[in-house]
Amino acid sequence: MNFLTPWFLLGALAVAGPVVFHLIRRAARERTPFSSLLFLSPTPPRAVRRRKLEHLWLLLLRCLCLLLLAVGFARPFFARDLSPPATAAQERRLILLLDTSASMRREGLWQKARAKAEDYLDKAAADDQVAVMTFDTQPRALASFADWKSWPESQRAVLARQRLAAAAPGWKGTHLGLALTAAAEQFRENSASRREIVLITDLQEGAKLDGLQGYQWPAGALVKIERMEAGRQSNAGLEILDPPAAAAGVEEAIHVRVANSSDSQKEKFRLGWQGAGERMDIYLTPGQTRTFTAPKPPTGLKSGALELSGDDLDYDNLSYYAAPEIQHVAIYCDGLGSTNDPSGLFYYLQRAFPATPRWQAQFVPELTGQAAFAVVATNLAPEQIAALRHWLESGKTALLILADARMAPTLAGLLGLPGAQVTEAGGDFALLGSIDFQHPIFKPFDDPRYSDFSHIHFWKHRRWDIPAPLQARVLATFDDASPALTQVAAGQGHLLVLASGWNPADSQLAVSSKFPPLLETLLGWSGASAPARFQFCTGDALPAPSSAGGAVQWRKPDGKPVTLPSGAAFAETDEPGIYTAAWGGKERRFAVNVPLEESRTAPMSSDELARLGVPLKWDSEQSAAIARIHQQRLQDAELETRQKLWCWLIAAALAVTFGEIILSGWLARRVTAAKAAL
Amino acid sequence: MPETLPPKKAGFVDPKALMAIRNLELRARVVVEGFWSGLHRSPYHGFSVEFTEYRPYSPGEDTRCLDWRLYARSDRFYLKKFEDETNLRCHLLVDQSRSMGYRSLAWSKLDYARTLAATLAWFLHGQGDAVGLFSFDEQVRDYLPARHRHGHLRQLMLALEREPAGRSTNLADPLRRVAELARKRGLIVLISDLLAPVDQLERPLARLTAAGHEIVVFQVLDPNELAFTFQNAMLFQDVESQRDIYIDPEAARASYQRRLREHSEGVEAICRKLGFAFHRVVTDRPLDLALLDFLRSRARRSKMVRRRRQTASP
Repeated sequence: MNFLTPWFLLGALAVAGPVVFHLIRRAARERTPFSSLLFLSPTPPRAVRRRKLEHLWLLLLRCLCLLLLAVGFARPFFARDLSPPATAAQERRLILLLDTSASMRREGLWQKARAKAEDYLDKAAADDQVAVMTFDTQPRALASFADWKSWPESQRAVLARQRLAAAAPGWKGTHLGLALTAAAEQFRENSASRREIVLITDLQEGAKLDGLQGYQWPAGALVKIERMEAGRQSNAGLEILDPPAAAAGVEEAIHVRVANSSDSQKEKFRLGWQGAGERMDIYLTPGQTRTFTAPKPPTGLKSGALELSGDDLDYDNLSYYAAPEIQHVAIYCDGLGSTNDPSGLFYYLQRAFPATPRWQAQFVPELTGQAAFAVVATNLAPEQIAALRHWLESGKTALLILADARMAPTLAGLLGLPGAQVTEAGGDFALLGSIDFQHPIFKPFDDPRYSDFSHIHFWKHRRWDIPAPLQARVLATFDDASPALTQVAAGQGHLLVLASGWNPADSQLAVSSKFPPLLETLLGWSGASAPARFQFCTGDALPAPSSAGGAVQWRKPDGKPVTLPSGAAFAETDEPGIYTAAWGGKERRFAVNVPLEESRTAPMSSDELARLGVPLKWDSEQSAAIARIHQQRLQDAELETRQKLWCWLIAAALAVTFGEIILSGWLARRVTAAKAAL
Repeated sequence: MPETLPPKKAGFVDPKALMAIRNLELRARVVVEGFWSGLHRSPYHGFSVEFTEYRPYSPGEDTRCLDWRLYARSDRFYLKKFEDETNLRCHLLVDQSRSMGYRSLAWSKLDYARTLAATLAWFLHGQGDAVGLFSFDEQVRDYLPARHRHGHLRQLMLALEREPAGRSTNLADPLRRVAELARKRGLIVLISDLLAPVDQLERPLARLTAAGHEIVVFQVLDPNELAFTFQNAMLFQDVESQRDIYIDPEAARASYQRRLREHSEGVEAICRKLGFAFHRVVTDRPLDLALLDFLRSRARRSKMVRRRRQTASP
């Protein structure tokens, strides 16, 4: 019998307690008065007495109870071998997983990594199956198990070497968690007995480990870490933060986040614009990350790079900067009234979209391809209707306001259904009845704190019947069940029909606090106001400019041109630098940088991976011994949990205690009875 | 008069029944009357503590002592004076210390001692003798001078029934005080367990003899004090000094009995030396026997005195 927690057996020493109590109890307890002790002299207590035998059973029960408790707490179990039977065939599957993140650009690291991988390839046995993968933010297969199998046995290592030679570290971040899980998934497809992932990496602190926590590893899979040591080098990195929206006319300060690696030996660095003479000193203790205000950029700078100097490694010392541009959104308006007329619709619309340094609404009277959104509140000429309909079908969104009952022709034209009727609804006023809060336009209001639209009175509204063949979704209705806001599909785009206006004569909507956010979400939903970003990391996709009507000409930092169709994002951001998008005589610049995490080059402890449940393969003898002990402990715990002997022991201890209670009670009663008889 | 007395134990009052009587006076009466009634059947009638004596008047003697009532009846002169002088004055000395409170039976040594004292008092009073009482522990607690007066016996019983307050036994001081107070020669009956070192007993007892008193000593002991029948080893506590000692009775019994015997022999030797009558009474013994012992010792004493006189007269 073995014990899981043998030190609890020391508790068995407590049996000394009852033994001692049984020996000395009588000496201390009873006191008999006697007339005179003149003729008596004290006799020393004798340890062994005939009387003690009378309570021997009680003593035995008490000792037994303590022993059972001690043994129970020591968690006993019967040893049995739980390890799975060793398979005769030792077929091995091996995945070489090479890190090609930016931090591997450090001097000599990639050469070492390649040499290590080639070493594994050379040593691979004839019946081994080897796959080669690289990873940065995404895992990539260089040679799969299928490739390996298809190659002639004598050529396998050579061919794999060739593929490896084509790989080189890029500029992207390290997503180690994703790479490990992707490699482990390769094992799921087969049932080889030995499965091993050889992770060849610098295992730097900044590696992302998402997805490892709680991951169910394939049975028998082991991860062996081949750590590439770069020696102790001081490294710091920087990252320009996206400037926040500031009031118009205020010059924006550029903020930069600087991180010093935790194994760094330097604290003093210099920061300045590339090509400009001015530098500022910054101080950062190792492991610290701080945000600084960057030195003032040269006037009129559209794009440039901030440079950090003073550390040993320079692959991450440049952070590119693209000056944010004002994004203009053209909104076609017709029939909304004049700018300064508070009784009209336009007065309120322009106030709902104030200009910001990054975004500005432009209200245009003519419908062009540039327009991102349209608001119409009047009857249009048939050719205008046709143009708007065509514009809608290209994927745009328009808001049609039924300002009066005479707008039936425009509604009918835009819907493409000639019979559409619009009538003026009677009554004092209407309120909004039901609202579809699941629709993206109303989704932001789907909270009891914001969902109260009941105080908005609609003095006038129009009724229109949705014809049966129409694909329409009613987003809001009035309390008389007539539609208030309706979404109608028109080709790729949408037409929104509002059965009342927001002008004071029609409703209180414009003076309600719901009005600006409602218009904002409406514009956002239509895709007209995508928030513009100009700072990206390598591997991020650059968004296509929304105002581009046709194809966009992209240019990479090395000058290579790429042409993409309208609306397609640019994903080839594989190196840091300034990327340029050009369309219709316009140009926009994007800055792409190495992720700041890649600058945190201090080595990570492999315990961190072990903590996340990665089945690490120990390489040294001592580590193997530790692993064996660990394995043995796990096995013991498993056996103990299965057998649950402690339950029986505690139950037995309880039974013995019960017996002891009965016996001692009986003895006490007997003594009392004997005394009474006297 | 034969020395040994073969009383049938069945004829005596059972101590258990006797002690069940709560009233001390009644208890004494039961013993004495039972004793008297038994006495009439026994050959030992005619016992007396003292016999009264009327002496014919001789001319020249003090006429104040003439018994005029007798003269009126018999027309002869007798002197009454001698009646007083020869009448017995008896003092009962009852030890009320804590050690007397020990009991292994339903009654303690003190209960027994009180009953013995009451019995003697009743008996002597019935004979017309004057009875006094000293009750003591470490000092004299109650003192009733020896009288033969109506109501005196009642007072004596009340004094005996009083609950003791003392702690320890100290014979020296009470006996000195008794010697001071009982100046007239008489009989002194000491009822105590005498559980004190022998060398501390001799001097106080000798002081009483010096005053010319005739002394009878009753040593009252509990049967368990003699046999020491305890079984378990335990702490024994001295009721007087509150001292605790751990004793295993099995081991200590023999030595205890030996030392007790030595002590009793020592006490008896002192009594013999001083001319006392010494009786050891055990509390499970009928009280009548104690009374018989008392009377027997008195008879022996008077015989001894008479013999002395006879040997002195020629």
